[in-house]
Amino acid sequence: MKTHITSPHRLEPALGALLYYGTIVASAVIALGLALAVGLDAAGMRVAAFGLVLFILLPVVRVGAMLIFFLRAGEYRFGAIAALVMSIILLSFFLGAR
Amino acid sequence: MHGGFELWLFAVALGTSMLGGLLGMASGIFIVPILTMFGRIDLHTAIGASLISVIACSCAGAAPFLKNGLTNIRLAILLETATTLGALCGVFLAGFIPTRYLFLIFALVLLLSAQQMVARRKELPRASDRDIGYSAERMPLGMTLMYGAGLISALLGIGSGVLKIPAMDTALRLPIKVSSATSNFMIGVTAAASAGAYFARGDILTPVAAPIALGSVLGAVVGARILMKLHSDKLRMMFVCILMILSAQMMLAAFGINLIGQTP
Repeated sequence: MKTHITSPHRLEPALGALLYYGTIVASAVIALGLALAVGLDAAGMRVAAFGLVLFILLPVVRVGAMLIFFLRAGEYRFGAIAALVMSIILLSFFLGAR
Repeated sequence: MHGGFELWLFAVALGTSMLGGLLGMASGIFIVPILTMFGRIDLHTAIGASLISVIACSCAGAAPFLKNGLTNIRLAILLETATTLGALCGVFLAGFIPTRYLFLIFALVLLLSAQQMVARRKELPRASDRDIGYSAERMPLGMTLMYGAGLISALLGIGSGVLKIPAMDTALRLPIKVSSATSNFMIGVTAAASAGAYFARGDILTPVAAPIALGSVLGAVVGARILMKLHSDKLRMMFVCILMILSAQMMLAAFGINLIGQTP
């Protein structure tokens, strides 16, 4: 199987921005939570835990964004691949939860 | 919360992510041994926190590579089917493999990394012009190595560059810059697949993972800045030594001996 790489470079900057701003938001929430935890232990830690969840979800949102982009661009083969990656991740979440 | 321990965790993540960035590897391979040996943190907790660090490093460092068009997102999503499937299996296995074997596997991965750092990466002969489009050959071997990388990543909480890099350089014959950028892009998703499961299981402890996440983001950003100005030959050899020492320590831990970090 040969995969040719001739990216049109349209999606890449958007994904870069998503990961960049996502990192800032998740880090800010974690920092806020830790700062709060100094005063009121449990509540602050819950905020920080929410920030960690944001971090874990960020790459998953990135896969979702790729999925939507590929489907809209008519690249159904890559759309299907992104959907497969998404389902494996979700399966891992549910299996881990048990 | 008293702050001292959190500050130490932050500093560890900052240092390891910065150095990881310099060497083109994820921070997890340093974080897990340091947390278990010096911090006396339980291995599963260390692995959970390290996965968060891997995600943070991947996300924080991805944007410049994407902007420069170095990241091959189509190849990445294709290989991610293999890495996430490996992660799924790793999450499943992690529940069954006794801790001492995890230490042993970790020691071996550290040794392999040291060996890889000595050998260095070479550009293999291929069509030199990126614009013509290089082709990723030998996909089945590449996918198999990627599956293994995902499995090891989920088991040990590392980015598994040790398997991804030979997969991309040798099996897929990608240019080094492209494979580094693409690998960085992929480790986030791979780690997220297992981190979600670890979180659901309660193996990601916020007081440990939160300072680690912040340190990692800062370290990854700073590391990328310094990378441009550094001659890395001496640094490499220093890290070969550190990897060997950590490997020896993990090996000893597998047999229940801890020489350093006597005080909790």
